[in-house]
Amino acid sequence: MNTILVRKKWIPYLWLLPSIVLMSVFVVFPILIVFRLAFSEISRAGVVGGFTGLDNFVAAVQDKAFGTVMGNTAIWVVSVVGLSTVLGFIVAMALNTEFFGRKIVRSIVIFPWATSLVIQASVWNYIIKYEYGNLNNVLLNLGIIKTAVNWRLTYQIEFAWECGIGIFVTIPFVTFCVLSGLQSIDAAYYEAATVDGAGFWKKLRHITLPLVRPSLTVSTVLNIIYVFNSFPIVYTITKGAPANKTDTMVTLLYMRAFYDQQKGPATAMSVIGFVILCIAAGAYMMLSMRKEEDL
Amino acid sequence: MRKIVAMLLVVMMALSCAAFVSAEDTITLDVIICQYGPKTEDWFLGTGMDGTNFVAKFEAENPGIKLNLDVVSWNDVYTEVSTRISNNKAPDILNIDVFANYAAEGLLLPVKEYCSEELFNDFFPSFIAQSVIDDTVWAVPDLASARALYYNIDLLKEAGVEKVPATWAELEDACQAIIDFYGGEVYPWGIDMTTDEGQAAFSYYVWNNDGGFVDADGNIAVNSEKNVEAIEFAIGLYNKGYTNPNPATQTRYDLQDMFGAGKLAMVIAPNQLPDYLAQKGYEGINFATAALPVNEGANPGATGVMDRVMAFKDDSLSAEEDAARKEAIGKFLTFFYAPENYVGWVSMEGFLPAVNSSVAALVEANPSFEAWLKVLDSCQFYPTSLDNWDAIKMGVINVEQNALTGGDVKTLLDELQATLVK
Amino acid sequence: MKMLSPDRLEKNKRTGRILSLCALAMTVILLCLPVFEAATAVYTKKSPNTFKGDEKYTAVKAEVEEAIKDYEEFGDVQLKEDVTLRDKSDGTQSSMITFTASTKGHFSGWQLIQSGVPAGKLLLLLLILACVSAALAFTKGVRLHGIAVAAGILALLLVPVFSMTITRFFTRTIGTVLSGAREADITRELQGADGLLYGGKGGDKIRQLLGSMDFSCTAWLWALLIPGFMLICGAVVSLNAKLSEALGRGALYAFVISLCVLILYPYYVMFITGLRSAAETNDMYFLNMLPVQWMWSNYGDIVRRNVLKYLGNSLILSAGATLISLLCGIPAAYAMARMKFRGKKAFLGFVIMSQMFAPVVLLVGISRLMIGLNLNDSVVGLMLINAAFNQAFAIWLLRGTFVSISSEMEQAACIDGCSIVGSLIRVLLPMAAPGIVTTLIFVFINSWNEYTISTVLISTPGKRPITVGITQFSSFNMIEWHYLFASALLATIPVVILFLFIEKHLVAGLTSGGVKG
Repeated sequence: MNTILVRKKWIPYLWLLPSIVLMSVFVVFPILIVFRLAFSEISRAGVVGGFTGLDNFVAAVQDKAFGTVMGNTAIWVVSVVGLSTVLGFIVAMALNTEFFGRKIVRSIVIFPWATSLVIQASVWNYIIKYEYGNLNNVLLNLGIIKTAVNWRLTYQIEFAWECGIGIFVTIPFVTFCVLSGLQSIDAAYYEAATVDGAGFWKKLRHITLPLVRPSLTVSTVLNIIYVFNSFPIVYTITKGAPANKTDTMVTLLYMRAFYDQQKGPATAMSVIGFVILCIAAGAYMMLSMRKEEDL
Repeated sequence: MRKIVAMLLVVMMALSCAAFVSAEDTITLDVIICQYGPKTEDWFLGTGMDGTNFVAKFEAENPGIKLNLDVVSWNDVYTEVSTRISNNKAPDILNIDVFANYAAEGLLLPVKEYCSEELFNDFFPSFIAQSVIDDTVWAVPDLASARALYYNIDLLKEAGVEKVPATWAELEDACQAIIDFYGGEVYPWGIDMTTDEGQAAFSYYVWNNDGGFVDADGNIAVNSEKNVEAIEFAIGLYNKGYTNPNPATQTRYDLQDMFGAGKLAMVIAPNQLPDYLAQKGYEGINFATAALPVNEGANPGATGVMDRVMAFKDDSLSAEEDAARKEAIGKFLTFFYAPENYVGWVSMEGFLPAVNSSVAALVEANPSFEAWLKVLDSCQFYPTSLDNWDAIKMGVINVEQNALTGGDVKTLLDELQATLVK
Repeated sequence: MKMLSPDRLEKNKRTGRILSLCALAMTVILLCLPVFEAATAVYTKKSPNTFKGDEKYTAVKAEVEEAIKDYEEFGDVQLKEDVTLRDKSDGTQSSMITFTASTKGHFSGWQLIQSGVPAGKLLLLLLILACVSAALAFTKGVRLHGIAVAAGILALLLVPVFSMTITRFFTRTIGTVLSGAREADITRELQGADGLLYGGKGGDKIRQLLGSMDFSCTAWLWALLIPGFMLICGAVVSLNAKLSEALGRGALYAFVISLCVLILYPYYVMFITGLRSAAETNDMYFLNMLPVQWMWSNYGDIVRRNVLKYLGNSLILSAGATLISLLCGIPAAYAMARMKFRGKKAFLGFVIMSQMFAPVVLLVGISRLMIGLNLNDSVVGLMLINAAFNQAFAIWLLRGTFVSISSEMEQAACIDGCSIVGSLIRVLLPMAAPGIVTTLIFVFINSWNEYTISTVLISTPGKRPITVGITQFSSFNMIEWHYLFASALLATIPVVILFLFIEKHLVAGLTSGGVKG
């Protein structure tokens, strides 16, 4: 094993100390405050009162929009994480083949990741505007469409756009995680498989997929967390309108906390989200890491 | 590289430490101002006030008072204020639209405690009356705007609409005529039911149908028969295809842009619309204003909107410090409303004034102000002195948006009423 | 590539030639068909508040009939009357009468080529390419066959381009010419259209004639794709290559190119919109794809509104956050990778758990903490927050990197008398450079892009990072799209440059970090 022996038992903890202190103070402490708030009465203006037990949680679950928004959140997380993983995988496969200009393409693929979500969301918001958006401008001027198209006809379509933009900005991360996995695969495996007469799909199933799985697992867990907590896309494009029908959990609780002045239920909602996330990410990790080497 | 970054870090730390060591005998006021337009920040902090800015000018004239003034966009201001309140770090002076929830929880200072008698008497009494709860004035108005119907003269004329619609029935006729003539190229009527200002849409219809947010006794009554009729009418306009296509996400500014581009024939907008169109460079639009259309037999109701300035309590201070703080807040207000400062600000933002002393100068600069001030006299304002006003506001917006997607107006309003009076 | 047998090769060549010839013949036939249809509403008059037969109706009808006389020499003019009846609210009825006079004409591809409109030139080019491709299929050289394939592909690609040009010309260009937006190009383009539609007879009247043009190509146009495809197949077959391989390669390029177009599109929008004038950003008639006037002064304006200062703030903030994150993360990752101790798993769980709250949710908590630490409204506080929120990622990546490097060298160094710290700094860190660079970039980008916490934490305008700074362009009263996107582009450039520099390290760093999960 790649370990170094240390004589005193407390030494490893000393090495962890800076990190633990940093996270405890700046992440765990705010989390504890949020947990405490979830069980406290908070006035409309934001004044924190006494302990109220589960009142906030009851109010959060009874929120009229809660059901819709949970459904939206599920669609949002599953579609964005799922599709961006599949598409990111395909892009990575393409970028792993030799072709003219590959270096440039690889650099370009990173762009969406390197751009702030707030900015990406504003740009796409402008692009899909019906009355003066750039998509209509380009398509009309290229002669592809004859009259302007309302790209956000219904809220379902708007929500689909939001998911699409979510996928768009998530693909680079997946691509590069998979790409790093692909690069570490020994070419000898493929040569051996070719000699044995294995086709493209066979190689994909029996060599590529198993070997990039570890990278995929990690990128997926992180993506589940990031996508669940993602805020700017929905907030910039629809703000949840009409009537919370395009909200996800994070945007709903933001609106509840800061626009509807229901901070108690909003905080409770965030704790519920935290629990869901813990279960989802934990379960995913358990399932996909079961077979792998222990830490 | 690493060394440089490390050095930078040390310097940053040193600087931030230095910031905490400031002289003790000055009073620092935390002020939050909302960003009304692209020039707001420049006027308060940059060079927009004849080469200088508000803060510099104020500090020069009032030695011993420092302003920690932040211009916050309307998108973020609620977040920022409520976060600060939750952490007992409320600003000293706040400029925002709502005040009742802060007042109800005892966070505000009564205006009388810091505002000079002279300045207090300068405010329009009808405006001050909007900020009263239990006979105490909790905030002062900083500006107002009145809404009117703007219509594109050429578009209406060409489509054969000879009379500017004054009633709802005439409005529907006009909309149909415009649809027939332009075949969808021009939207007849603009509706904004977004979270930005959907409550305004609510008021445009219910107030012109003898309805309202509250009944005659001031109790919440959002589900009155008149209200249901009014909102069903508004939703009907959308369902018949008379309006802009996405009322739930198209804000009033989107509508104003469409109006400027000649894509929208009629829109309800505030008095600063002409300024807005000029700033955005829309040319050749021939428009005029009229009163909002009213339901047959109902009394007309103009909509006015007003924002406020208020001061927060600070219980941690000794009596002496507290007096000094109130005096500083008073100086801030006196300075802000002094005609030489206030006139420039109001005309820059294109709003209507809240104090008498500036009216003469403003009317001289822009004669159209006079007509608007008259409109303002007859305006109804939102019931902002109800401490759950923001719940009412978000509630009616929610109802409108639900109705846009097919919900039944009566059921929705009944539900809302039930949650509001719980 | 496997060589085919000689007679198989000969057969291939024959098939290829036949295919090419057929394709050429089909193209020529298609061009002779009258596949293009032009319907012009030469005159439209809508008369509101007019009832059939009343005084106004008679007057308008006379006016219309007078007007269409002029057009009759250009073709068969048909006059149509539509009556729209509506019941008004006061019980009366309103009526609107629409008079439409229209002409209709069909013509073939040859006429289009002769007229000299832009689309005609493209069609000619397409034809030439098809001829070249077919001719080359008869030659012997392999290289020439390659050119034949290329020419065939180009011809194929020209079909949609041609369709686009023709719609663009007749709907957009003529439209903008008539609306007076582009007076300069008017003569040449109108002459072309005149020649095509009216054999040059339109003359001065052409503007009115084109008043409301509806131009369409029938589905036959798209049949041109078939000969194009046949050309390519012909050439490929005679090239004796495996068709599937060539197609696979083509598909790869098509995929990669469309991917790049999609990714670069938002940046194109930022760039173009950032150079428009305020009025043009909201152009509801979509007159111009490119700015009429390239407003480079927009960049001057945003600099005057402090954007550079905000960029500088962001730079300091992100650099500081990255540094703190690495300083805390490297020792932790080292301990995780190299030392055995109880509670390793617990620590890992702790790290992942710390990521599960959205910053938006934690606003109140973070704000309270910062006030308590007297770090409210300070860049240092923001640095620490960003560093803390990126610890999980940093530790995960660095641990993976360290695990993938053998510890032999360090052990040797230890025997030589180096301390653990010494061996870490002198031996391990240089070897782990790619992983460290990757981590650095991650943390940097995440801090650079952070928005929500900064809005609440920073209240002095001079300390704002760029993400918060640009919200001044989307104020309540108006969104200044041109300024917003110009500064968005400025905010993106530093990060993109950074990424371009480390692209190579990125994959390497993720490889070492990611594989071991």
